[in-house]
Formats: sequence, structure tokens, C-alpha cells
Amino acid sequence: MLSTDGTSTMAFFSSGSQALVEILTRMQSAERPMPVDHTFFEFGSIRYHVEASASDPENVYLSISTPSLSHEASPSSSGLPEATLQETRKAYHKFAEVVEPPREGYVLTLKLNFSALARPKDRVKAINQVSLLQSVVLSSQLRDMLGSLGPSGTMKLVYSQSEPFFVSKTAERIHAIFPMRFRDDTDLAIATSFFQELQDLGNSFARAPKCSWSPIPPPELRGEHVHRLTTNGGFVSFGVVSRHVRGKKRAAKTAWILLNFQAYVKYHIKCTRSHIQSRMRQRLEALTEVIQDASLRGNHDKTRSQAVVKKRSKRRLISFTKANAKLQKGFRAILDKIKRLRLRIRVKGLDRLRRQCQCFAVPKLPVPPRRKEQRYHKLASVKSREQG
Amino acid sequence: MANTLRLYLTCIRNTLEAAMCLQNFPCQEVERHNKPEVELKTSPELLLNPVLICRNEAEKCLIETSINSIRISMKVKQADELENILAKKFLRFLSMRAEAFQVLRRKPVQGYDISFLITNYHCEDMHKHKLIDFIVQFMEDIDKEISELKLSVNTRGRLVATEFLKQFI
Repeated sequence: MLSTDGTSTMAFFSSGSQALVEILTRMQSAERPMPVDHTFFEFGSIRYHVEASASDPENVYLSISTPSLSHEASPSSSGLPEATLQETRKAYHKFAEVVEPPREGYVLTLKLNFSALARPKDRVKAINQVSLLQSVVLSSQLRDMLGSLGPSGTMKLVYSQSEPFFVSKTAERIHAIFPMRFRDDTDLAIATSFFQELQDLGNSFARAPKCSWSPIPPPELRGEHVHRLTTNGGFVSFGVVSRHVRGKKRAAKTAWILLNFQAYVKYHIKCTRSHIQSRMRQRLEALTEVIQDASLRGNHDKTRSQAVVKKRSKRRLISFTKANAKLQKGFRAILDKIKRLRLRIRVKGLDRLRRQCQCFAVPKLPVPPRRKEQRYHKLASVKSREQG
Repeated sequence: MANTLRLYLTCIRNTLEAAMCLQNFPCQEVERHNKPEVELKTSPELLLNPVLICRNEAEKCLIETSINSIRISMKVKQADELENILAKKFLRFLSMRAEAFQVLRRKPVQGYDISFLITNYHCEDMHKHKLIDFIVQFMEDIDKEISELKLSVNTRGRLVATEFLKQFI
């Protein structure tokens, strides 16, 4: 959401499925036709299945399963309303057709065939369009449900199982009301700060829906069950007027943003918690340095703790140094022994004593005459002579 | 630094300098034991009068002195709900890492947010003036950190709210 350099990234909340784009692009760019069978989830409840066989590489079967928005509606496996199917057909008629009945466990199956699109640019565009399938399906469902609501009324929607929200329709506008529940006080405090800012900023963004936050349920929810209106984070409501849903693309975008509002808040809380934790760690380090400096032995403990971290890396170096020292010591000892064997025995100060005390005569030992030449014969030559 | 905060911290520093004259003193109750008298409070003759320094109702510091130990307890300002939660979170984070500070008590004295226990052994191992500097800096840093955290949470909230609303444009 907000990176360290302050730039914003909304990758997690973009309506296009990045995984789907990647799979389809890889399939299109593959030199050889390859069999594909992928199943993956997005946003916890949207399930995709991409299937293609090596024998029929032109046709790719894409199935999608989205949660049923209405609590009272039939389960998602029973398929989509006709209006949604019509809209999907219309949106993807150039390169896809709806397979009926859909694959088991999915609400919609599309047979994609990009062979009609000759230019690679068109294929990329088509793939990006396919990645928006979830948004198209959900917004179409939402529109269908709002249409069935009549000129005014309130309806409960369940996009994420644990967090239902309400849509209230009046003549002028549609109110999307989110009861906010949080598991602990820290989450609540962070979210409260965010809601206050959202409410303050709502007036400065003229094109955005008017946002309001109140700790008590808004009047539109009068008559709802008490347990549905019990929250600890209050109620956030967005007033959507006709200009926010003018055009199908814009309507789909608005629906997608509002459907993911709770996930957006949760993500903000998670990031802020992690930011607080990292700041606390930094401050802890700074304070620890102060107390370590107070020590009479200097920052011995600090160096010791640093040494512990580097211990493993240093251990090898130390062992090598020790081994080298031991080797040198042993080598020196052997050299000393050799020297001692070769040298004559010397008594320290004996010469001086002999010079001073003439009476103490040291007998001169006869030195055996030294042979001038010592001939050595090569063993091989001696042997050959003996044999001869 | 605000003028009132400087006065408050100077007062704490002067009190600590006066109070921190600790010596080794064996326990009078148990033979061959050496315990911080400020914690046990078994012998009243070994205890000095506690000093309570208040900046306001929400910020105060209690200095309890004995012959061989001194206990410093402080209450940090918590102006609103967010500050209260941030202070609680941060002080809990520090208390759980008390071994890094040597003089930090794992559990604060009742009615206070954080407590330190300095014994004569700490005074032997550390420079007295630096120990006092640490206590004062700790108090300063806690206030600063909580204010900065609050500011940062609000700023992040504002930025994220702006990004959310920008999506509609």
C-alpha cells in the first residue's frame, strides 16, 4: 500500500488478476503447445481454473467461482443470472464464448480462443480484459441485485463470509454501509484514525463518494437485527450517486473498490502494525546502547553480543590460525632439536674461567685426524663390480 | 524540549543524584542473603522517604530509596485513546526485553507504567552519572517515541485515505 519511500502500490487491490495474466501470457508466448491445468484462489474466495490440452492448443477453458453476494441467494455453484451471462458474452464476444453448463464447482466457464487476434498487441489487450472477469461478474451481480431491490430498500451483502455489509437504495443515491469489527484495541485505534482521516478528506475529493463514519448505526439500517449492528469500530458509509456508476466500466470499478473496502482497511492495519513494531525495535536498540555505555567495562557486553553473532563465521578462521601456529611451533621444535644434536656441548662461562684460573688445566683431548676425502661409491656401480 | 519538561527532568535528575548513594547491605532476615530492601521493605530503618515528582496528573515519577537499592517508577502521559494504546504497546515491548536494560523491572509498580530497580551491584558495575543519564534519556525518549508514533499513524492514515479516494477519480 505505502512503501518506505512514500509511493503507493495498489497491486493487491487491482481488479485484474495478475496470476491469470501471467498464465495466459506464458501460454501464448510458448513455442510448443503445452497442456495446462491450474487452479488458484484470489481474495480468499474467488477461484479460477485454467485448462488447455496439448492436442487442442487454440482453446483455453477458463472457469471462475465467485462468492454469492446475497446472503439469501442460492449457492454459487448453481450458476449466474442470465443478465450476467449476457453481459459477459457481450464483453468477450471477440475471443470467447460461454460454455454451458459451466464446469462442476464453478459459476462460469469461458472458452478462450485468441487465434482470431492476429496482432500481439491485441492479444495482450484481450488477456488484460480476461483478467477483469471477476470484476465484471461481481459488478453485474451487484447491479442485478440493486435492480431487484426496487426504488428504495436495504439489502445485506456477503462478499467476505465474516464481514457482511449493507446496501441501501434511495431515489438519489445508494449507500454502502460497512459495519466495522476489529479483534483488538490496537486495530481499533489504527482504524479509527484512518476513518477520521477518510471522513475529513471525503469533502475535498469532489468526485469520490461522500464518506461518513459514526459509532452508531445510520438511520438506513433501522429495523435490522441487533446482532448485525453490534460493532466495535462503528459504521462507515459511502454515498454513491449516479455519476459514480455512469458507464459500465466506471460502475464496475466503483463496485470493485467498495467490495474490497474491508480488505483495504485490514491491509492498512496490518502494515501500520508492522511499521510500529519496526520503530519500536529501532528505539530499543538506541536505548540499549545508552545503558551499555554506562557500564564500567565499557561496552564489553555489546562487543560480546556482537561477537556471538559473528562467532560462527570467525570460528573457522580462528581454527585455521591455531592450526598454523601449532604447525609452526612443531616445526621450530624439530629445528631446535637438530641444531642441538649438531652443536658441541657448551658450558657458559667455562672459557673465561679457564683463562682466569691457569691452574685449572683442562686436558686437551686428541682430535682424531680428519679425512680429507671421503669417497662414496654409487650402490649400483658397487653391485655391478661385485657381479663382474 | 518544552520548558516544563526540562524542569521536570532536571528535578528527577537531581533527586536521583541525591538518592543514588547505595552500599552493600546483607539481608537482616535471611543469613547469607543479599536482597534489595526497597522491594522487601522488611526493615523500616533501611528505607528512606519516597519522593513523588509530578509534572501533571498524568505524568509522575516515584523514587523509592533504601540502603542497597533504589526503585524508580514512572507514569507516561496518555492524552487520548491512541496514545494510551501506543504507550501500553511500547512499554510492554520494552518490559518483555528487560534483560537488555539490566535495571528494568519486568512488572511495573501498581499505578505506574514502567519501573526500574537499581541495586548497589549496578552502581558498582556502571558509572553512576551515566546510569542517571540513561533514566532521564529513557523518560525523554518514551515521550518522544509515543508522540512520533501517534503522528506517524495519523499521517499514514491520511495518506492511505487519500490513496483510497483517488481510486474513484
